Amino acid sequence: MKTTPLLLGAAVLFWGWHTDLLPFAATIALLLEGSRLVAWRWNVAAGDFRRVADGCALVFLALAVYLYSANQTTRAILTVIQWLPLVTLPLVALQVYSMSDTIPLNTVFLSLRRKAAPTPPRPWRTINLAYPYLVLCLAAAGAANVRGARFYLGFCLLLAWALWPARSPRDSALVWGGSLALVVLVGYAGHVGLHDLQRHVGDRFVAWFTPSPIGEADAARTRTAIGEIGALKLSDRIVLRVEPGRGSPPLLLREASYTVYASSTWWAARAAFESVRPERDGTTWALTDDVASREAATISAYLRDGRGFLALPTGTTRIESLPVTTMERSPLGAVRVDGGPRLVAYRVRAGPASSLDAPPGPADLAVPPAEASAVARVAGELDLASKSPADMLDTVAEFFRQRFTYSTYASLNAGDREPGATALGDFLLRSRSGHCEYFAAATVLLLRAAGIPARYATGYSVQEFSRLEKAYVVRDRHAHAWALVYHDGAWRDFDTTPPGWVNAEQAAASIWEPVADAWSRAAFLFTRWRARERTGGVPDGLAWVLIPLLILLGWRLYAKKRVARLKTTAAPRVLITPGADSEWYRIARRLEDLGMPRQPGETQSRWVARLDGAGERPLSTESLRPILDLHDRYRFDPAGVSDAEKEVLKSGVHAWLERHQSA
Amino acid sequence: MNRLRYRAFCLVSSLDAWIGRRFTPAGLIVLGGLVISAVLGIDTNQTVAYQAFTFLLALLAMAMLSAAFARPRCTASRVLPRFGTVGAELAYRIVVTNRTRRTQRGLLLRDTVPPAVPSFDAFLHTREPGGGRRNWFDRTVGYPRWSWLVADHRTADVREMPLGTMPAGEAIDVRAVVTPRRRGRLQFTGVAIARLDPFGLFKSWTTLPAAQSVLVLPTRYPVPPVALPGARKYQPGGVALASAVGESEEFVSVREYRPGDPLRRLHWKSWAKTGTPMVKEYQDEFFVRHALVLDTFGTVGSEDRFEEAVSVAASFACTIDTQESLLDLLFVGPERQCFTAGRGLGGTDKMLEILASVSLCRDKPFSVLHRSVVDHLSSASGCICVLLAWDDARRAFVRHLRTLGVPLLVLVVTDADVSAPLDQGPMSDQPECVHPLRVGAIAEGLAAL
Repeated sequence: MKTTPLLLGAAVLFWGWHTDLLPFAATIALLLEGSRLVAWRWNVAAGDFRRVADGCALVFLALAVYLYSANQTTRAILTVIQWLPLVTLPLVALQVYSMSDTIPLNTVFLSLRRKAAPTPPRPWRTINLAYPYLVLCLAAAGAANVRGARFYLGFCLLLAWALWPARSPRDSALVWGGSLALVVLVGYAGHVGLHDLQRHVGDRFVAWFTPSPIGEADAARTRTAIGEIGALKLSDRIVLRVEPGRGSPPLLLREASYTVYASSTWWAARAAFESVRPERDGTTWALTDDVASREAATISAYLRDGRGFLALPTGTTRIESLPVTTMERSPLGAVRVDGGPRLVAYRVRAGPASSLDAPPGPADLAVPPAEASAVARVAGELDLASKSPADMLDTVAEFFRQRFTYSTYASLNAGDREPGATALGDFLLRSRSGHCEYFAAATVLLLRAAGIPARYATGYSVQEFSRLEKAYVVRDRHAHAWALVYHDGAWRDFDTTPPGWVNAEQAAASIWEPVADAWSRAAFLFTRWRARERTGGVPDGLAWVLIPLLILLGWRLYAKKRVARLKTTAAPRVLITPGADSEWYRIARRLEDLGMPRQPGETQSRWVARLDGAGERPLSTESLRPILDLHDRYRFDPAGVSDAEKEVLKSGVHAWLERHQSA
Repeated sequence: MNRLRYRAFCLVSSLDAWIGRRFTPAGLIVLGGLVISAVLGIDTNQTVAYQAFTFLLALLAMAMLSAAFARPRCTASRVLPRFGTVGAELAYRIVVTNRTRRTQRGLLLRDTVPPAVPSFDAFLHTREPGGGRRNWFDRTVGYPRWSWLVADHRTADVREMPLGTMPAGEAIDVRAVVTPRRRGRLQFTGVAIARLDPFGLFKSWTTLPAAQSVLVLPTRYPVPPVALPGARKYQPGGVALASAVGESEEFVSVREYRPGDPLRRLHWKSWAKTGTPMVKEYQDEFFVRHALVLDTFGTVGSEDRFEEAVSVAASFACTIDTQESLLDLLFVGPERQCFTAGRGLGGTDKMLEILASVSLCRDKPFSVLHRSVVDHLSSASGCICVLLAWDDARRAFVRHLRTLGVPLLVLVVTDADVSAPLDQGPMSDQPECVHPLRVGAIAEGLAAL
């Protein structure tokens, strides 16, 4: 191995350090670097290299398929990359312990293998796998996503080590070191800047221009059905399963909140996301430092493509058992995750009041001009201005409970509405009937008009306990909107929708709901079983897939060899030597017996010519010539001789031998 | 669309060549690492590979920047041999002079030949041998064919070599080796000298003007001694062409009459004495005069067959002993060409030079060669025809030569994938005088003559 001593071992250890596979890494490093200490080497044929490469490829495929089936795509890819140094180890180890420093290029490139052998045959180009393996180790270490400076510094150190032997002889070590230091600094500044840039760009643009899938929250805006005509229909699909912790379950699970209302849409202004770092185990995420929280619930939810917004009770301080790669939170309390499995079941700890949401600002008191007059009129009617905040809240809640009804059907004709009135104004002043979005929006604006900071929150209401699931189930139709008010120095949920809304929604349920629920339960259990298997430890589950595969591979390799061996013993290679059974050799033996052996390197014809007249009893070689001619044709002419000519040869030999036996 | 594809392929090829020329093996690994880290680190939240990306980017940028400064000032000139041969290494010297006031070390040298860029026409019409076996995608996109075409158009393989230490103001000799890939004039455009960046990743080349050329001869194969079929036809009359002009016949002996000897050479007195017809024999009485006919009429796609045909002709030109005989090379280039070698009339080397420069003739029909050969045949004792095809026109040509009674050896160069035996046609009564030669197995074919 012509790599710099100990470099490969160091790179492997670096990989193990980052991927928490240090015991493996130490073994591999010993294995690879140990080759310098042992004096023996295997004589490995090209076919063996190919077989081992095939084996590695097979393991790689199995690993990829397994991880893909158990994980969400991004996570699967990243995990596969992290395991690559282990998967490709057999090939590298084989090279390290083989006679040659390199392996043929067609071992690793299937396309080259299919290529016809070149004419004239020349050796394949070869490749030293040590350096690609080094790159692989560094890439795998990078995929482990260990934040902090240790990856960067280690990477720079290893690269400097690798680059030192390749440096130009023109420049001094000082120039080399100075240039490298500069590169390290520029690279550092570059990656910090790049990360910030991506966060900035992601927050500013992606959130605005990416359309959200139906049923998923959009942290930047939410379009309400306020003002739309017809029945609001939501499905019975179960979207969340909530197992309450100690005490009763949280009533409301929030996905996002918004500050600015304009033409039936709520917007989240100035709500840039910032990322949350996981704790050491990678699945615990502390949102605040509050330790006085209690376990609120365990929530199971599906993530589409491994990403989405978490439904969390107000006051969430800490999320546990959530295997996602990234988590981001906005100052408006939305928590976005990415790179997770299809199904997550996370434990939530929560305190009494929200500490996730940013303190109120001017936007939390703004009433849009279009709604200002209707809101002001109602606020005037309720005489909110003269009341204390606590009384205000009571008054508003009472107001909506007493004078409003819940309805998912807006039978409004355009003509019914007063000229110039908005949908929300009409709801407040005339119809006094609507769904939760009306109540939430009206409450927010009414409280704002009275000087209490308020926000519009969306999420789910937890209502229905399922005996089948032994947990609360939250269906699509339990999607809810409510107000968040800033009261007593904290943000609190404030739901003014009449309590009867759940029953109203329940009445609209399909008669097939129990069947659908059972199916949903089965699917949930299956997905959870697979997820448990995965969280139970990748190596465990992997082993069950990999061990039979490896056994199969080993057997195939062995069987192949055995077949090859069997073939060699059963059917030795037949050398086609036409004319080997020629009768002429009998004459040759006779001549040798007569004490006239052929000299080494002498051709048959020269031999015969030399014998002419030689020996104790002169031989007549004249008669030998036609026989020899025939023999030569039989032996060397590609066209061969006919059967008749063979007979002639045979009889000629017989006649000659007869003559010389009797003589 | 084809034009666009052609442009894109040209771009890819030149980028590929640029990368190959500029990056050292370590640089290539760093470049590969850069690409991998860019892909892995595309989302800076998912992995930390973006940190590796910025470091590698900075490293390469630094390498490229620093290599661009302080280029060495040198001059170079080549000492070239007269000829090279296709496929054989051509070694020569390059004298490099250090024009700076400091000792230069760690430089690299590389001779430069024009880049291989196939023409649009060639891209559209050239058929790749075995290209039909490629999959649908490769056939439609055509990149494998393109890379084969680029490899086929290379004029020479040049190698990079270290320059060693050059003391200030002094000249050093460097042994350079190129392997010519195409016959004809190999043009060297200049001598390129590179310095490495401090990390040893990137090479910055400076091309010194040194335009020179060398003639590359076609490949020659070993040919067994040619015995043209039929009785050798001796004929006087070559003398006028010989170096000694005039009546230089010198009486040597009297020998027995052989069929074909002219009657005026009969030595009547000896006949009277011996009772058998005798003739006078002169020293340089008759020249054996072979005609070597090279077929230059190929269609698009017959380039490799043509190259092999030229090689076959060159092999014969080298092998036939022109000390005692004449060899006429007949072919049609821009016009009808006949070149005679032997007996001091211009040597084999001249003939090889001509063969090095012969090209396909696409604007004339085969009949031009037919007429040219028939006009010439009166003085030829035998004729070797190297043909590119075995179609009706060529069969008619061979049939015509047979009717004129000329002993013939017909060699038909066929494509590599042709395996069917050749239909003898007009040569069916002399099957040993017509041979197919497969591209890629010419040497074997010639050895079987």
